[in-house]
Amino acid sequence: MTTAPFGEAEGIVGAPPVVASPDARVVALQAKRVTKRFPGVVANAEVDFDLLVGEVHTLLGENGAGKSTLAAMLCGLYQPDEGQLFRLGQPIRLRSPREGLNRGIGMVHQHFRLVDRFTVAENVVLGDPSQPRLLKRAEIEDRVAEIGERFALPIDPRAQISQLTVGQRQRVEIVKVLYRGADVLLLDEPTAVLTPQEADALFATVRVMTAAGKSVVFVSHKLGEVMAVSDRVTVMRAGRVTGEIATKNTSARHLAELMVGRPVESETRRGTSTAGTALRATDLRLVDGDQTLLAGISLTVHAGEIVGIAGVAGNGQRELAETLAGMRKPTSGSVTVGTSDVTAKGASVTRSCGLAFVPEDRLGTGLVPGLSLTDNMLLTRPRGFFVNRRAARKETAEAIERFEIKAPGTEAAARVLSGGNAQKVLLARELADLGTPGGPQAIIVCSPTRGLDVGAAEFVRGLLHDARQRGGAVLVISEDLDEVRALCDRLVVLYRGGIALEGPTDDLDIDTIGLAMAGVSTASLTAIADVSALTDESPGA
Amino acid sequence: MQIRLERRLEQKWWHAALVPFVAIVAALIAGAVFLGIEGFNPLTVYRALFTASFTSMFGITDSLAIATPLILTGLAAAVAFRMNLFNIGAEGQLYVGAIFGAWAGIALGPHLPSILGPLVVMAFAALGGVVWALPMALFKAYLGTSEIITSLMMTFVALYLMRYLIFGSRSYWRDLTAANFPQGKKISENAEFALFSNYRTGWGLIAALVIMLAVWVLIRYTRVGYEMNVVGSSQQAARYSGISPSRVVITGLLLSGALGGLAGGVEIAGRAHSLDPNGLELGLGFAGIVVAALARYNPFAVVLVAVFLGGLRNAGIALQSLPGDRVPVEVSLMLQGAILLFAIGAEIFVRYRMRVVRTTPAIAGEVAAA
Repeated sequence: MTTAPFGEAEGIVGAPPVVASPDARVVALQAKRVTKRFPGVVANAEVDFDLLVGEVHTLLGENGAGKSTLAAMLCGLYQPDEGQLFRLGQPIRLRSPREGLNRGIGMVHQHFRLVDRFTVAENVVLGDPSQPRLLKRAEIEDRVAEIGERFALPIDPRAQISQLTVGQRQRVEIVKVLYRGADVLLLDEPTAVLTPQEADALFATVRVMTAAGKSVVFVSHKLGEVMAVSDRVTVMRAGRVTGEIATKNTSARHLAELMVGRPVESETRRGTSTAGTALRATDLRLVDGDQTLLAGISLTVHAGEIVGIAGVAGNGQRELAETLAGMRKPTSGSVTVGTSDVTAKGASVTRSCGLAFVPEDRLGTGLVPGLSLTDNMLLTRPRGFFVNRRAARKETAEAIERFEIKAPGTEAAARVLSGGNAQKVLLARELADLGTPGGPQAIIVCSPTRGLDVGAAEFVRGLLHDARQRGGAVLVISEDLDEVRALCDRLVVLYRGGIALEGPTDDLDIDTIGLAMAGVSTASLTAIADVSALTDESPGA
Repeated sequence: MQIRLERRLEQKWWHAALVPFVAIVAALIAGAVFLGIEGFNPLTVYRALFTASFTSMFGITDSLAIATPLILTGLAAAVAFRMNLFNIGAEGQLYVGAIFGAWAGIALGPHLPSILGPLVVMAFAALGGVVWALPMALFKAYLGTSEIITSLMMTFVALYLMRYLIFGSRSYWRDLTAANFPQGKKISENAEFALFSNYRTGWGLIAALVIMLAVWVLIRYTRVGYEMNVVGSSQQAARYSGISPSRVVITGLLLSGALGGLAGGVEIAGRAHSLDPNGLELGLGFAGIVVAALARYNPFAVVLVAVFLGGLRNAGIALQSLPGDRVPVEVSLMLQGAILLFAIGAEIFVRYRMRVVRTTPAIAGEVAAA
């Protein structure tokens, strides 16, 4: 089914005597009818999965489909309640990730587990039981460098983690499992934090690894990269496998249908607006100590348009959102909502002047975990001396119905909601009355569809489009480039607290955006390479 | 074999309600061990405890008399604890409340109608509690100083201040006509809470219950209470909502201090009738922490727990009159402490459940059967 050479694979893993035609490949790792239950939910129901030596097999599914649970069982983090795992045909039981590593199975987590103050080499051997008490630093560093070279993971073993970019940190995580001798690598949503160029570099590494006989399980919900990198795809929905297919025999659209369970309409609706300015930032600066968090940002969101802020996490998105929303005081510059100057006037005033806000951190900032959904609905509503819960309760009940929020009731604590449901509550509250007379005229939404299933994401996008039709001004801040490109009329790319690129979405191609996200200015780019098409874009601040 | 704690996905209401009962039963069992070692029959002692506190009208009213300040110190702790602010200094706030209240009773009492007198004492007592809680509140809100440390330290300052006023100086509060042992000056009769007939409890209890209801309404139905709940659960969410966390932290801690002060006021106007260090140093403020913890910060449950602990303390005194060997009065305090320990210990089972996991020794290369 795939093209990696069989003989090489056999050489590396010392495979058992499975003699067959070149097509019947060695199964590196297999799960047979595994079931995993958590109280109240079956996360995996009789799931079958197999990974051939030297292949990239993607686990595709929406959030909550069970792909992460399956990956966790494959690496030893969870134990299946029923069913059996096989490694190279032998039944195995993994009681911990360490046992998984002992059998050559390593997981690269979405959230890095690295010690900032340690060097790359130190992190690689951290927690490795096979290391002697006194580390032989030079040997370790040589091996780390060697592994990096072999698998196209250029890395300086002596660099401190805190100096590395996100993409480099991910390389360290990969080197770490390779160092321990893993032949099977599980990559959990590895591209979530990467720029498109960094993602391409990762895919190159994946190809080098499979060519060397390693096998990769790639967990993802992004169809584009799934098509680009994998040999086979197993699609999961609601804890079950809904399809298993070779990538060359399928299309992104077909995979999307398997993922969602019905045909998906993907349309991009664009609007252009010349209406009045609903939200304006003028030369916004935010300096904290010797750190410049925002380096003079000016942007305008008109009534009736959706503007997107793209960028790799940590380039000032959060600070920009909080400063616009009045939660932080800018060092200099001004913020205007409608016709009111709300600079440094605080969150309440900013909101009452007509700016709603869906923050990045939902449970803890946008919602109060310990309070009921009704009380959470009141969080951004005007309050008198006495709290009037009746209207809020009604609004909450309606939101639960309209947004199909899975909650025990209006008086349940927000804490018990899953991420996606918490987000729906938050969106229901902040999007209510947006763009209607008397309601807020502008909204900042951070990662609007993160954690939502495809259906709910479509629904939310619809709400944002509706708000735009009503004349609402929407500022979307997201690290998911696909999302902002699909949703927004105009794009602004942030890099190190400044604007690296801006323009109408349809005029910017993904390479240009990716380079801007990585901090390569269009000016220097035109100097280096022959990219004459880019000269239309003025370089950012 | 291995024991694992697993997070409960669902917390049933009775999980929480069960905690105090389990804690009390466990404390009684633990106490029985010590009583047994000391040569007492635990059942006899426990029966005597119950009889002394809850079977006669005098017993019940005496228990209620002790319960009255416990309700207020319990509320003081509950109001702060539910915001994750650990004001453990209700003891000191009670002393200063008593000092302020006694001053009002002595100086203003004679000029007030008897219906207003005790209320003025209470108002001054609340003010005293606020004054004493103010440094803690400001340090917490603006410098992030641990309120646990400041409130505890302020308690000792209050204790020695109170002793100084009566034993160490010829202050306004001291009865200079008393020939023998230094005593506090009596407050005006107009400033005393009337008692029910010839029992030792009276309108002070009613005042405590009214305050409890007011606290409940405040927390549940007003903006102030709502903002306290928000800040208690998430300061980030408060900032997002436009609530100033430091302002609300100050409000919460001062309210807590006021309730501690009111406990001092109800002691002065309802029972002691003078600033009497010996009569006030009973650890009522610290016991409030036990009350709040057992009541899980619910104002209504605070009343129930306060009555229970009031009875326990009341019985401690009665135990000494048991026939035969005297049971030490400390038994009731020991039980009180044990109840708190078990209640805190049981708390984890509200959120987690215990599961016994059988594990077989893992051998490298071992292949488990399917």
